[in-house]
Amino acid sequence: MAPSVDYYCPCLAASPHPPPPHLPSSSDSFHPLHNLFFCEECDAVRCNRCVMVEVSGYYCPNCLFEVPSASVRAEKNRCARNCFLCPNCRNTLSVVPSDPPNDGYDRMSPIVSTSLGEPPFFLYCNHCRWDSAQVDITFEKPTGLAAQLQKFEDSAPEALEFDRLKEHFEPFLRASSSSSAVTPSSSHHHSNPITAAASSALARDIPGVSKYNPLSRSRSGRDKSSHKADIPDYKARMEVGAAAGMGAGGGEADLEFMRHLETVAEVATVEQRWVNSWVSSLHTDDLKPLRIPLQSKKSKRCPSCRHILIKPEQKAQSVRYKIKLVAANYLPAISVSLPHARAALETMKRSLNRSAAQSEDQSPAAAALLAGKTYSFHISFTNPLYDPIQVRLKKAQAMPAPGTEGAGEKAKRPPFQVNLPSAAFPIAAFAEAWEYEDDEDMFGLDDDDDLDGLGRLQKDQRSKTRTVGVVEKRANVTVVAGEVILTKESRGNVKFNMLVSYTYRSDDPDPAEENAMGTPSRHASSKPPEMKNFSFYTVVDLGTIAPREETIHDTDM
Amino acid sequence: MSTVTATPRRAGHDSSNMATTTPQTTRVATSHIIQSSPHYQTTRRHSLYGTEDRVVIDPGSRIWKVGFSGEGKPRDVLTAGDNGSSLWTLNRASKPAEREEEDKMLEARLQSRLRAVFHDSLMTDPKSRKVILVEHPLMPLHIKDIVARILFDNLQVPSISFASSHLLALLAAGRITGLVLDCGHLESTVLPIFSSRPLFPQLRTTPLAGMRLSSHIRALLLLFGTYIPPLTSLSGAANIPAATRSMRVPDEVLAGPVIEEIKTRCCFVGETLDLADSGATRVTSPSGDDSFEHDLPPSSDPASMSESDFSRVSASEMDSNYAASSGFSVVSRSQVHPDGPRPGETHLQALAEMYKRHSTATDLHMHIDPPRDQQAGTGKGTLIIPGWIRERGAEVLFEGGDVDESSMAEVILDSLLKVPVDLRKTLASTILVVGGTPMLPGFIPRLQAELVRAINSSAPTSTRPPSRPGRPRPAPYDRYAPLRPLLPYFAILNNPSPPPPTSASFVTNAGKAPAFTPATMAWVGGSLAGALKTGGVEVARERWDEADAQPEDEDDAMEGTADTAPSSRNVLPDWTRTPLPVGAPPAPRPQAAPIIVTPQTEVGA
Repeated sequence: MAPSVDYYCPCLAASPHPPPPHLPSSSDSFHPLHNLFFCEECDAVRCNRCVMVEVSGYYCPNCLFEVPSASVRAEKNRCARNCFLCPNCRNTLSVVPSDPPNDGYDRMSPIVSTSLGEPPFFLYCNHCRWDSAQVDITFEKPTGLAAQLQKFEDSAPEALEFDRLKEHFEPFLRASSSSSAVTPSSSHHHSNPITAAASSALARDIPGVSKYNPLSRSRSGRDKSSHKADIPDYKARMEVGAAAGMGAGGGEADLEFMRHLETVAEVATVEQRWVNSWVSSLHTDDLKPLRIPLQSKKSKRCPSCRHILIKPEQKAQSVRYKIKLVAANYLPAISVSLPHARAALETMKRSLNRSAAQSEDQSPAAAALLAGKTYSFHISFTNPLYDPIQVRLKKAQAMPAPGTEGAGEKAKRPPFQVNLPSAAFPIAAFAEAWEYEDDEDMFGLDDDDDLDGLGRLQKDQRSKTRTVGVVEKRANVTVVAGEVILTKESRGNVKFNMLVSYTYRSDDPDPAEENAMGTPSRHASSKPPEMKNFSFYTVVDLGTIAPREETIHDTDM
Repeated sequence: MSTVTATPRRAGHDSSNMATTTPQTTRVATSHIIQSSPHYQTTRRHSLYGTEDRVVIDPGSRIWKVGFSGEGKPRDVLTAGDNGSSLWTLNRASKPAEREEEDKMLEARLQSRLRAVFHDSLMTDPKSRKVILVEHPLMPLHIKDIVARILFDNLQVPSISFASSHLLALLAAGRITGLVLDCGHLESTVLPIFSSRPLFPQLRTTPLAGMRLSSHIRALLLLFGTYIPPLTSLSGAANIPAATRSMRVPDEVLAGPVIEEIKTRCCFVGETLDLADSGATRVTSPSGDDSFEHDLPPSSDPASMSESDFSRVSASEMDSNYAASSGFSVVSRSQVHPDGPRPGETHLQALAEMYKRHSTATDLHMHIDPPRDQQAGTGKGTLIIPGWIRERGAEVLFEGGDVDESSMAEVILDSLLKVPVDLRKTLASTILVVGGTPMLPGFIPRLQAELVRAINSSAPTSTRPPSRPGRPRPAPYDRYAPLRPLLPYFAILNNPSPPPPTSASFVTNAGKAPAFTPATMAWVGGSLAGALKTGGVEVARERWDEADAQPEDEDDAMEGTADTAPSSRNVLPDWTRTPLPVGAPPAPRPQAAPIIVTPQTEVGA
């Protein structure tokens, strides 16, 4: 696994400090930089877990038709035109005409030539060759298919039954809501279900006793409650027992079918069936084409100040954004690498030349982190701002979590120690021109020692492992080296939280306003007032520590 | 407010009651909410906004159904757990630190699911949609808290109504009285409901449910299934017969999704086993079973025991044993362990023998992905599922006789025994079966047969081994004797093949429910409740925020002592928080603590 850096968004935790990275739950708080947003008003990072999402437009992913939101509701979030999915393979279906009655014509292209086809049209899957004629769905004309199917959907049994249920309960509800407003005064303490049930059960079973009323003093209330229990039995439009007999599914027929099943494929998967709330056939053959679900374009807002963070253009065809406040434009992009892994790969190649004994799968083992050793790692920062920034790194201390967790935390010593460059280092400004320059052009270089250090690092890894500091500077990229000291008994992943603070020049008035709003960023005291500071947490994952014994064994071989 | 205005009006109609009614309007206003049964005027005013259709979420531990109220079927059904596992279990870590970590993980997962429900499945603005949350009566409270917190804080929904899933399912069947069995993934729960009041104290539950069925099918397949790995190269295809390649099923190929697919596509529930053949009333006591029973502590469940046994066995013999496999689909013979059958295996073998005799289902070939370390082959491996596993795998749900793990029939009968005598007949004749597991073809007819059998069998607990050698067997304890007179009345509302009515004297309810599928019934009921502008106790966001803004130290107390500490979250109604029944009407409240008192009265639903 390649070393990685993720950025922290504090939305899940109560405190601004990130959770210790060894907890599995911490991974939910860290995100790759390209998934994050940045709210200028709040001066804070926002992630997809905390932003407020609004739908700014619906469209069909197949025909790219923008559906007005008024009809989205009625169409049940599905395309109301000609777009259908194959029920078996979820491929898009195409409309094909029937074969001409006489075989005289050439049959080269029956598909898509919908303009001159024979009237019974049907849907056809180009992938799995399913066609809608199998389930008796054909169309008179090749357009407006959904509208032609609409009448079937309107008369779907579950919809009709649902309306019937609604009619059944509505008068009862009206009665009970009015009665419940009255009865409590007189009979509330009697209207517990048991008493009511007892009385009504008595009333029903023994005709002579029905006159007898044990709760006579609350006569009117009891009438109400007995009325409540005695709402007329609901007569289903289609009873489940009858439905099974009519071959709609369920009952003996299904049992027989399952018993004599020959292949699994005859039975539709549960995913294909489970949206049906009405009993439906188990057979794969009976699946109906699905209208394509609509997609939506979403705009996202900051959860605290409600400013828009990202807003796509309205048109379905467009992939651009009207507003785009992504964190990648504000925070330096960080990537981390392990130089020893690269070096190990090279030595591996050399040794491979000498003897073919070393197999390929050992190379990751050699490049892995071994317990008890010290490794150098490189962190490269890329500045997205048009001004140079000063970056300062700090390893976040394991914050004693509130409550009981802190004690356990201290008892266990950290399995590794990390040294990061403590001094602030500069990163040059981003300029469009950098993108067109070759890598060899080292514009930002002003320190020869570092260049030497870099050279030596690459030449002789072992002597320079202790280097902690700036390794390389070019364009708007600065690479610094840190080191990690693994203890003998360390296990698991080398993961640590790193606090990155950077100072940038704020020349326009907007950032000054941000400060006035009491944002988390504070002024660096030593800097002139137009310099601003922003800090954020990251988690650096250097990879897994290889178990020691195995690797020694490997290298011996 | 509506009640206050309604009361004088009604009193005007009925002048005899007027004197008693009118002075008590204040109490009416509060006790009105106590009636969890549909009250409907309070939500009417919101219909102006055009978003009166509420979002109905039926969050299961594995499968969620979501949609809008007023529609006949859910918009979307999604698996909530990651690759076939369940989102939560009924276990919780006992250490506070671990538990906190567990809760964080769960919260993160729930948050992404709920956000996906609103943003991807329904594509609606959560801020303008009220939510009906279909809640299982035994849904753990901490999960309910987390769900409410995410909905209110992260998604900012205007209000949440909590509605009991059993009651909603009953509504979808057109009833307000009935005995509802919800057979889900983690457990099966029976809840009697009378006149739309759930009788929560009479709730009965059993862990025999979808998850147990899955593990049972898995255990059976590991023992009796056959696996044919893919050919290592295409060139040798013709040379090697499939019979020689067949082997026992490796543990790894039976991953959760595969078992799930077998369960949902291949399995069904056969008819009741023939009593005459097996010589015993219960499935759990086939002839070879007695010695096995003595080896075990009496409380252990045979099925689960054998499974755990088997997982030990399988590891050791996996590599050595399949070489002797004699054939293609009859590998099971050779699978008896060389050095004598293990207790668990004996039991499973005995079960298999009996099941095979009672099954006519065809064997199935299913193509599955080979385990990862054998991926070098060509294409997919083949799993041969014996027909009897398909037909009899679900027997585990109907095997009774265990005190802690009642069968489907027993859990219903146990609940009926708890129910007041007057209600028994009514409830027995209106049994409703809902949940995902009853989607197995044949489940409900089988349950009907099992109900009859459980009552008829003279001594349901006789399979327990209480009799020591010297002592005479005690007189059989006839557990369900009080229910025997009700036998002709037992009817399952949504039985797709109802038994023919035994006598014409009474109308049976069997098979009279609308043909909604058992799995979606609770959701449909939620949709119906939303359309009728009713549905459980509603918690508005203002109330939540109000309770949330209380001092922080209360939260700390909750972290330390878990659920029992009174938390600011108890604005959420739950029947387990119901105060003890009040005999007399409550005294006039002191003005001091209105916030504490109000939730409790509201909870009284």
